[in-house]
Amino acid sequence: MLHTLIQAVGFGVAAGAVIALGAVGFSVQFGISNILNITYGALMTLAAYLGLFLVDAGLSAWVALPLVGIAVGVASVLFHRGLLAPLVRRGTRSFAIVIVTVAASIVLQYIIVAIVGPQAKTYGAQSGNTFHVLDVSLTTAQVTIILLTVALMLALHLLLTRTTLGRAMRATSSNRTLAQSCGIATDRISDLAWLISGTLCGAAGVALAITVVSFDFTLGAIFLIPMIAAAVLGGIGQPYGAMVGALVVGVASEVAGAFSDPVYKDVVAFLILIVMLLIRPRGLFGAAWSARRLMA
Amino acid sequence: MGAWEFYAVVLLVYLGTNLLSVWGLNLQFGVSGVANLAYIVMVAAGAYTYGVLTLGPDTGNGGFQHYVIGLSLPFPLAVVAAATVGAVVGVLVGLTGLKRLRQDYQAMAMLVVSIMAATVVSADTGLLNGNEGLSLIPNPFADLDPELGRWAYVGVVVVACAAGWIVLRRLTTGPMGRTLRAMRDDEYAAAAIGKDIVVLRLMVQAVGGAFAGLSGALLAAFIGGWSPSAWAYTETLALLTAVIVGGMGSDRGASVGTLVVTILILQGVQFLPQIPSHPGLTEDLGWIVLGSLVILFIFLRPQGLLPERRPSYAETADPGMAEVDAGRRDG
Repeated sequence: MLHTLIQAVGFGVAAGAVIALGAVGFSVQFGISNILNITYGALMTLAAYLGLFLVDAGLSAWVALPLVGIAVGVASVLFHRGLLAPLVRRGTRSFAIVIVTVAASIVLQYIIVAIVGPQAKTYGAQSGNTFHVLDVSLTTAQVTIILLTVALMLALHLLLTRTTLGRAMRATSSNRTLAQSCGIATDRISDLAWLISGTLCGAAGVALAITVVSFDFTLGAIFLIPMIAAAVLGGIGQPYGAMVGALVVGVASEVAGAFSDPVYKDVVAFLILIVMLLIRPRGLFGAAWSARRLMA
Repeated sequence: MGAWEFYAVVLLVYLGTNLLSVWGLNLQFGVSGVANLAYIVMVAAGAYTYGVLTLGPDTGNGGFQHYVIGLSLPFPLAVVAAATVGAVVGVLVGLTGLKRLRQDYQAMAMLVVSIMAATVVSADTGLLNGNEGLSLIPNPFADLDPELGRWAYVGVVVVACAAGWIVLRRLTTGPMGRTLRAMRDDEYAAAAIGKDIVVLRLMVQAVGGAFAGLSGALLAAFIGGWSPSAWAYTETLALLTAVIVGGMGSDRGASVGTLVVTILILQGVQFLPQIPSHPGLTEDLGWIVLGSLVILFIFLRPQGLLPERRPSYAETADPGMAEVDAGRRDG
């Protein structure tokens, strides 16, 4: 019983690491451009298949991960520049933009199916050694992903707090007009934010594909549930909140999955999301200003 | 019955059921500004309700499928129940919007509701037979001659559409239509003149949900089966495409959009050559076309093919104001 619990918490931290990669990227995008980008899920699916292509070509999945990350980062900038930014400029309503991102994600998802087919795919065994920490046994892949996530989150933290660029990003996120009048090139800052968040999205897609047994074209769409739950729990638009939210969602889901049917993993994430939306839509760490932005 | 006659019946039933659900979605999305991306869940609620109420206990037929209830109710009762359940589910889903979240935030929450509902129903085999779905759902005219039965069913769908149109027009025209459009265009202004936004939104969710439930029930009874693959979250986008292509907020526009989407896209791709190595390719292309249509229309013609008409008011007595009014109409 206790052993199951400890093991589930360990798995939860590993799952939380993947969720954190995705949720932080999702949150950064929203924070900087005020757009809820549902295409994010389809871009994760794209990342998983790009990774598969590289793994099939003989590369290690760990080499594929950063390559795919950067490729998806660039794709994400182009997507924002080419499709979303023009709509925002002409004053399209926010829910029409969400529908555009849903439509774009369906187009992308079905382009992927048309090319690779609907069959489930896998990267092959990535297990390697098993680590035993306390009572928890984790695979090399899980430990690597946890370390990678910690490193990336630390890097993002340093970027946001210690550099002028990061300060410009935070300024743009909290008040775009004011930042612009202070001489910040907000368009370039937002390109950079979409590059960073897209890279995280790509990394999350490959990391997810490494950890799951097999995946198909719905990978990213289904992963939207824990990812959005984590982002909303932490206060959407808040990268640190998303990190904590991801850990909570990951652990809660794995513990619930260990003591009941595994299908309830996503149900737990979903319940967290709905409860937060009903009680405190600004999230645990959301500031009052972000609450104003979320309410109609 | 010739193949073409059969095809015509299928097309007419699909067109009728799609019209009902697109009207309901247009009432919510186009007229009232409720971005319900979980709309297909209400269609599914109606279809499943009809299924479990008209099927017998699940021990029948060797017990090959598992589901709850199983009352063998007659067709009319089950259809009414399906519309009611659709309305109730609509209200429950609409409660997430009660906190007056931003519209895009609501849309995201509803999208997640839709993905989640399909995941849970697929996984739980005891409830609605999981991923396999329900089959052998009774058709009301099963005892008739097959040809007569099919056309009788078309008749039922036509009657349902006529009734639906009358109910719809009562809501989207006249004072209620203006109230709902006011809520969509400026929620605070509508609230300031005494309109209860929360009640109006829930009412729209209920009525739209009833349309969805009715549509789902009629479809499930015609096909004879219903499974999670019939109500993936992408299906809401297909209905939304009809609304956006036709013209958001316009009932006639939504009907034209349904015609375009049902006939040109969903049936049109059937005529593309099949490629044996890619069996599902035409269906995939259909989705790619639908998604692209939504993006193109929001970009190039956001008002749709048949735009919503701006309401016209009687001339103002004050000539100065009349000029302003005229200017506003022309602009």
